[in-house]
Amino acid sequence: MKTKLLFTITFLLLTSFIFAQNVISGKVVDQKGKPVPGANIYLDGTYDGATSSETGDFSFETTTTGNQTIIVSFLLFETFKTEIDVTNYKNQTVKLRENVNALDAVVITAGTLESGDKARVSVLKPLDIVTTAGSAGNIIAALQTLPGTQTVGEDGRLFVRGGEASETQTFVDGLRVAQPYGATTNNLPTRSRFSPFLFSGIAFSTGGYSAEYGEALSSVLLLSTQDEPDQNKTDIALMTVGLGVGNTQKWKKSSFSINTNYINLAPYQAAIPQNVDWNNPYQSLGGEAVYRYHFERGIFKFYAAFDSEKFDLNQKNVNFVNPIRTDLNNNNFYLNASYKGDFGTGWQLTSGISYGYSKNKTKYDINDIDSNENAAQLKLKLRKNISNYFKLSFGADYFITKYNENFDDNIAIKVANGYDSNIAAFYTEGDILFSKKLAMKVGLRLSNNNLLDETNLAPRASIAYKVSKTSQFSFAYGDFSQTPVVDYIKYSKYHQFESEKARHYILNYQFTKPGQTFRAEAYYKDYSNLVQYNTKDIAYNSVFNNNGSGYAKGLDLFWRDSNLYKNLEYWISYSYIDSERQYKNFPTMATPNFIANHSLSIVTKYFITDWKSQVGFTNSYSSGRPYNDPNQTQFMNGKTKSYNSLSFNWAYLLTTQKILYFSVSNVLGTQNVFGYDYAKVPDASGVYNRQAVVPTADRFFFVGFFWTISQNKNENQLKNL
Amino acid sequence: MKKIITLIALFVVVISSAQTQFEQGMTKAFGLWKEGKNSEASAMFERIASAEKTSYLPNYYVALVNTTAAFSEKDKTKIDLLLTKAQDALDVEFIKDQNNAELYAMQALIYTAWVVADPMTNGMKYSAKVMEAYAKGKAIDPNNPRIVFGEADYQIGGAKWSGVDTKPLCAQVDKAIELFATFKPETPFSPKWGLERALETQKNCKK
Repeated sequence: MKTKLLFTITFLLLTSFIFAQNVISGKVVDQKGKPVPGANIYLDGTYDGATSSETGDFSFETTTTGNQTIIVSFLLFETFKTEIDVTNYKNQTVKLRENVNALDAVVITAGTLESGDKARVSVLKPLDIVTTAGSAGNIIAALQTLPGTQTVGEDGRLFVRGGEASETQTFVDGLRVAQPYGATTNNLPTRSRFSPFLFSGIAFSTGGYSAEYGEALSSVLLLSTQDEPDQNKTDIALMTVGLGVGNTQKWKKSSFSINTNYINLAPYQAAIPQNVDWNNPYQSLGGEAVYRYHFERGIFKFYAAFDSEKFDLNQKNVNFVNPIRTDLNNNNFYLNASYKGDFGTGWQLTSGISYGYSKNKTKYDINDIDSNENAAQLKLKLRKNISNYFKLSFGADYFITKYNENFDDNIAIKVANGYDSNIAAFYTEGDILFSKKLAMKVGLRLSNNNLLDETNLAPRASIAYKVSKTSQFSFAYGDFSQTPVVDYIKYSKYHQFESEKARHYILNYQFTKPGQTFRAEAYYKDYSNLVQYNTKDIAYNSVFNNNGSGYAKGLDLFWRDSNLYKNLEYWISYSYIDSERQYKNFPTMATPNFIANHSLSIVTKYFITDWKSQVGFTNSYSSGRPYNDPNQTQFMNGKTKSYNSLSFNWAYLLTTQKILYFSVSNVLGTQNVFGYDYAKVPDASGVYNRQAVVPTADRFFFVGFFWTISQNKNENQLKNL
Repeated sequence: MKKIITLIALFVVVISSAQTQFEQGMTKAFGLWKEGKNSEASAMFERIASAEKTSYLPNYYVALVNTTAAFSEKDKTKIDLLLTKAQDALDVEFIKDQNNAELYAMQALIYTAWVVADPMTNGMKYSAKVMEAYAKGKAIDPNNPRIVFGEADYQIGGAKWSGVDTKPLCAQVDKAIELFATFKPETPFSPKWGLERALETQKNCKK
């Protein structure tokens, strides 16, 4: 009995010995040795732990023995984990490494203007595309309020930093869109085919972009579709220009959205005096569908869009007595399927296929011009997070384009032109973070074009350094090449073309504070290998060469602020550019006619709570653009007067789900002139007559009623406007 | 025989001390929270979560402490950090169990905090998610007072912008208050908060 008792006591003593308290103590510091207060230090799987004091010190007792895992966590730093011997862990110093994923890490910003939730430094918010006065739901029009772009009113496409519109490529979920703009004719502005509400993020690069993207000399516009719609809903839109219906269905892992639109500009064209004579108004019938499926570690998206457009008009032409009739029909189909997902440890896979088909049937005067284009892209990209400090990506692209054009003057000439092009490209890129303050991206793109029979190697590099909490500098360099536009390469059977080339140097300064962003960017662009020809118009028998060259240099400034006054947001963009080229049939180096030296946009948005209204003004100004007057000896000597347009919009929430929207462009009715078309031959007295290129109408107005039917009464279509 | 009894006794002591350890830890964490020491409370809950992988409560409170702290924080960078921490903790529990109504109520609250932090940027994006989280929670437990109240309160909050009729929403608040009265938390540490705010909203409803 006694022995048994003794045994029990010994046993108890032994247990209490096992339960003996070990003291764990130390200090938590950052990389510079400064103490980190508030860090959570504990032994994994136990209750034993403490929070570090103001001096970074910690101390706690533990009843555990042997080897344990100690964890030190604090949001701004990477979690520290190590195995320790609890009896022997006293006065240790734990050095925490900065978490480079934390919000204030440096981001390379040279050349890129981002919008959307994923963007750390957002210059545009997703809603901005639709609530910017004058944009009328056109993504491109909203982007034209950003620095580095030119307002080319008679064209409507994006002109970036002295580049032609064709030098900008559009990508949806990383896949190229061969035909991003609606059909148009001479001096009739086009707009983006894409409805802005499908996209959750937009990155607009005005130069120096990643090696992932090729075939663009000036700029890339990257649109990413939503991963997940908000909810089941039906949207109805009644507009002065047409009507639209949409529906979204959401299931556990997948969702489906469909939208259809019918646009008819007849009422608008009847109400507002037009500068052209319409035989048939602009009409379009279109629809788009998106299906998304979420896998455990990835997402599959399928996007398809179809639209059919037509219009018929008579345009005055200085070369002819009577106006020239253009009757156009366009059918466009676009499909995009992509998968993006993670696998293994730290691997990410992006793959996809896109296909675009465009068919144009144009009757220009008595000529018939029919064209069709088939364009496809295959893409595969892999990315490996080797550590938080180094990421490596590599991938391949394959582009296939087939273009055919049949011209028939219905008298004597009947010709067919076209081309087949296949481009294979490989690229690799490394993202290196030296610290939270210094980041670098280095890439290389190798592409082979079978039509041009050439191989190009394009290096790209950018670096960013953060000088303070709010400001940073970035620098980007890159070589870019692009196949000449279709107007040239459809004559490939007569001439062997080469790629056009550009080299970018960009220096960027950015200042950000909550609610405020300031950017200044200086750039220099060097163009070489541009196509030249020796005739008045591009023709199969023109003599072509690739000896053209040019440059563009300038300064872009951007300021956005929402702190000045409650409920007021505004931004100001200013661009200065100096650019000359010798290309096309230019006899000397000269500034092309789409370039204005100075551009200024001021955008304001104000929410009036009492009126449940958002009102906005946008003013766009650009200095005069050059034009060539053949009556003068010097080439491109003329300059138009400056351009100005003030737009206004007003969104009124009848209830949350019903919105009344009103917008009008060029409120002041400024008579803008974009340039002059001169006669090809002088008249009897030896003078070349001219005709001003003006907007199709001085004003555009729009009234719409938007109604969302859904379970959630707070959802509305404000973002669709 | 006695040896066996002793062993059993010791065994029982160990087990019961484990139970009280959870209770002690939770009580201590709640004490810190009450004293306004949010980061210490959050750290304590985090430590408990690392030891008690079977209970959703410690992570739930990591989320709740940080989310409520975000509501009273003005610095947007800090709000971001707090809500990220809350979301990370909640995500751990969502992986284990997608059928807990309280987790959805918590999720809705995190989204609400994002909206409150920057309505212009986050309003559109998160409003629908708030409602979706409440809807999912409601499907699991239609009589959870925090869900019934939270859903109504969120819409009342938006009413001055949207002009939605608040009458039926206020009726929901009244219903939630009744539910609060009859609500029995599963354990002493299970969520039971919300009545005070519901009473306040009710007062404003009657104005």
